[in-house]
Amino acid sequence: MSVSRLQQLKGHIFPENKITAMATPSPLSTHVLNTATGVPGSNMALSLYRQDPTTKTWSLLTSGTTNADGRCPGLITKEMFVAGLYRLHFETALYWESIGETCFYPYVEIVFTITDPGQKYHVALLLSRFSYSTYRGS
Amino acid sequence: MMAESSPLTTHVLNTGDGVPAARLALSLHWLDPRIMIWTMLSVGTTNEDGRCAGLISRGAFGPGMYKLRFETGSYWEGLGQNSFYPYVEVVFTISELDQRIHLPLLMSRFSYSVYRGS
Repeated sequence: MSVSRLQQLKGHIFPENKITAMATPSPLSTHVLNTATGVPGSNMALSLYRQDPTTKTWSLLTSGTTNADGRCPGLITKEMFVAGLYRLHFETALYWESIGETCFYPYVEIVFTITDPGQKYHVALLLSRFSYSTYRGS
Repeated sequence: MMAESSPLTTHVLNTGDGVPAARLALSLHWLDPRIMIWTMLSVGTTNEDGRCAGLISRGAFGPGMYKLRFETGSYWEGLGQNSFYPYVEVVFTISELDQRIHLPLLMSRFSYSVYRGS
């Protein structure tokens, strides 16, 4: 059997996903947009919590800061992403303060239910100083 | 004798169906800055027009941090539908300059928005 044929067979038995050399993208993503100025909400601190279904206490899973595009990759791993109640906490007032403004909302918390952790969930936050909206996107 | 209307009002709209969100339970809370604990000030249910009168009295509405909690999950359940959000909590800061605050909630099963209106 030729070397190339052996390689091919090896590929079938031990499929190598080249992408696993990088971390698999988080099944949960967010995107913060500053709708007042029409730019991504960058450098905003946020954290992700999950509620324990029996004790109802919230546990911190990840803390992060949005990047220049208003995103925060790596929020959660596929293994950690189980069905349950999650909470995304955005430090909105701190964000506006850092650009010299006040915000009506000291922070924004979005609580959502994950029923099928096999799906991808995108929780967007569109924010101005006096309004915000969120939606389940893609 | 008519009660003076609340300086804080809300209006909940079901944008999925294009109707006011009637019979939605909500509550107003205040953060006690001395002990950093939330205290419930009032509970209510929206009327047929999605509004809820008497949230707070003029005298009680001083500067501070408040939270309006909307039982949106129960609302959608009552319509036989599920929703992405079990409830919506909106936390906001009132300063000495704030006289009347109108805080509508526009919501569907998979999105919602709040804004400071009039």
